[in-house]
Amino acid sequence: MVDNKKRNKHLLQILNSFKKKMHRQLKNIVRIFSIILKDRKGILGVTIIGIILCCAIFSPWIAPCNPYELNIINRFAAPSLKHLLGTDNLGRDILSRIIYGARIAMIVSIGGVSIAVVVGVILGTIAGYNVGRVIDNGILWIVDVIRAFPQIILILVLVAVLGPSTLNMIMVLALTAMPRYTRVARAETLSIKEEEYIFAAKSLGAKNKRIILKHIIPNILPPIIILAGMDMAVMIMIEAGLSFLGLGVRPPTASWGIILRDGYRYIRLSPWMIIWSSIAIAMAMLGYSLFAESLRIALNPKESIEKQAGV
Amino acid sequence: MLRYFVKRIVWLIPALLGVLFLAFFLIYLLPGDPASTMLGPRATPELIKALQARLGLDKPVWVSFGKYAWGIITRGDLGESVWSYQPVSSLLMQALPYTIILAVSSMIIAITIGIILGILASAHEGSVLDLIITGFSLIANSIPNFVAACLLLLFFVVFLKLFPVMGAGEKGNILSQLHHLILPSFSLAISWIGYIAYLLRSTMLEVFGSDYIATAKSFGIPMRYIAYKYTLKNAIKPVVAIIGLGLGNLFGGAVFVEVIFNRPGLGKTIVDAISARDIPVVQGGILLIAILYVLANLVADLSYAYFDPRIQYE
Repeated sequence: MVDNKKRNKHLLQILNSFKKKMHRQLKNIVRIFSIILKDRKGILGVTIIGIILCCAIFSPWIAPCNPYELNIINRFAAPSLKHLLGTDNLGRDILSRIIYGARIAMIVSIGGVSIAVVVGVILGTIAGYNVGRVIDNGILWIVDVIRAFPQIILILVLVAVLGPSTLNMIMVLALTAMPRYTRVARAETLSIKEEEYIFAAKSLGAKNKRIILKHIIPNILPPIIILAGMDMAVMIMIEAGLSFLGLGVRPPTASWGIILRDGYRYIRLSPWMIIWSSIAIAMAMLGYSLFAESLRIALNPKESIEKQAGV
Repeated sequence: MLRYFVKRIVWLIPALLGVLFLAFFLIYLLPGDPASTMLGPRATPELIKALQARLGLDKPVWVSFGKYAWGIITRGDLGESVWSYQPVSSLLMQALPYTIILAVSSMIIAITIGIILGILASAHEGSVLDLIITGFSLIANSIPNFVAACLLLLFFVVFLKLFPVMGAGEKGNILSQLHHLILPSFSLAISWIGYIAYLLRSTMLEVFGSDYIATAKSFGIPMRYIAYKYTLKNAIKPVVAIIGLGLGNLFGGAVFVEVIFNRPGLGKTIVDAISARDIPVVQGGILLIAILYVLANLVADLSYAYFDPRIQYE
């Protein structure tokens, strides 16, 4: 009996040290951001993302005009003081439409990435934790099937079949991005589940669900966060691409892809729609890739995320 | 190596079966009754019945899946187009060469320019040239191919009028075909140029800092020789590994470029079929692209393992 108590005390100590570790992780986040902000690229990335987020959240207050207000007489206007970036094929103010377009880009990319992360991480840890061989192989199989398609093709076809809408686009984006998270989470779980503190939790009688949620997931997050940062750029690109093909958000909603599409249709009449929407899309992608890159350096300098993800 | 190879190929079989499964069930994802959705609101009941019979929608799902899979595995039969009654496989085979030419030529462009830029930047580390190249590659890497295509179209076709607008050129006239190929392949290549240049620059710098380069320097071997003979040879490995990966991704990215330049090809065939609600063509198209993509990824993985023996074949 005495021996048993001693052992339990020892295990509790290990668990306590684990809790301290969690606290340190919180401090780590602050530290990571300070590292990012020391890097020139990191500052640039954070600034661009900040601007886009501001545009998305405060668009009604920032935008100089109503993005849906038509003015057919003043169509294809070049940039002027009244319309800083000119007007489009229906005389709408391009600057306002670009600012409102940030909204769709953010909604779709944040929505898509968060769903993909949640579902992917849960599936990956379950597969890696080895609840059962059948489950592991089943999850791996789903992941392999989705990964057998180039992401853009699968998204295109699924959205086209299900019907173009913002919600469908978010769902399909999440579905096709999920495999990357599942693979990383699975690989990380495989290596982490041999750690002492997992063993301690197990011997104290913790259930699998609790171990996965409380002990494994918090510890596999860093590579997942880096992936999520890179995926934001990919999702912004795909949203614009789908809207460009007429398979994304429906016009007249302002989306960078739709502005580009209008520019392409009236390419001989006005260059401004193409130029400004291109800049918006490229800037957003640049911001997120710079951010993800400095995040990667801040989190683990030597580790190559691509190898793990098998991208 | 051989064991790894065999294992990878065996592992492909269930994945490809899953792909077949997904492609087949695409038609059941259509909202409402698939046949009437495809035909639109003005279809008569007889027409809907006839289409259902043609697509096998009147039979139980498993029977028609078996028939579909059997047709593909034994005869490569992907069914026929709903509207033109042409076999899907011949439609796709007509389009495939255009996409392959586009993907391969843009990969060649990306590799050549990317490698040159990467070497230049790493050889002049810290200089203005390095800053310009790094900046360019970061920005280029953030330009999606449809944006690049629109911008190139705007500047070279509308402003400068240097290139033809649309299509793939006259049949049999190689010069005209090449002329039509330049802009599309550059639009596909541009983000890869940035990616390769950036990647090569960082791996070159990493190798430059290693001990054996220092040893070579201490022997008095000229820098130019060291850079090409020792450094590049080791730094190029990750670039080689992404070629297969890149080719696979270019098959996907080609969709936009083909639509924008109105070029025949797999992607355009699929997008046209989507807007015509010609589901058998869509099914066949994504099957073919998935198979090409899987093969390209396999080659990429194998070449990675071949070029870098340190990788453990799990």
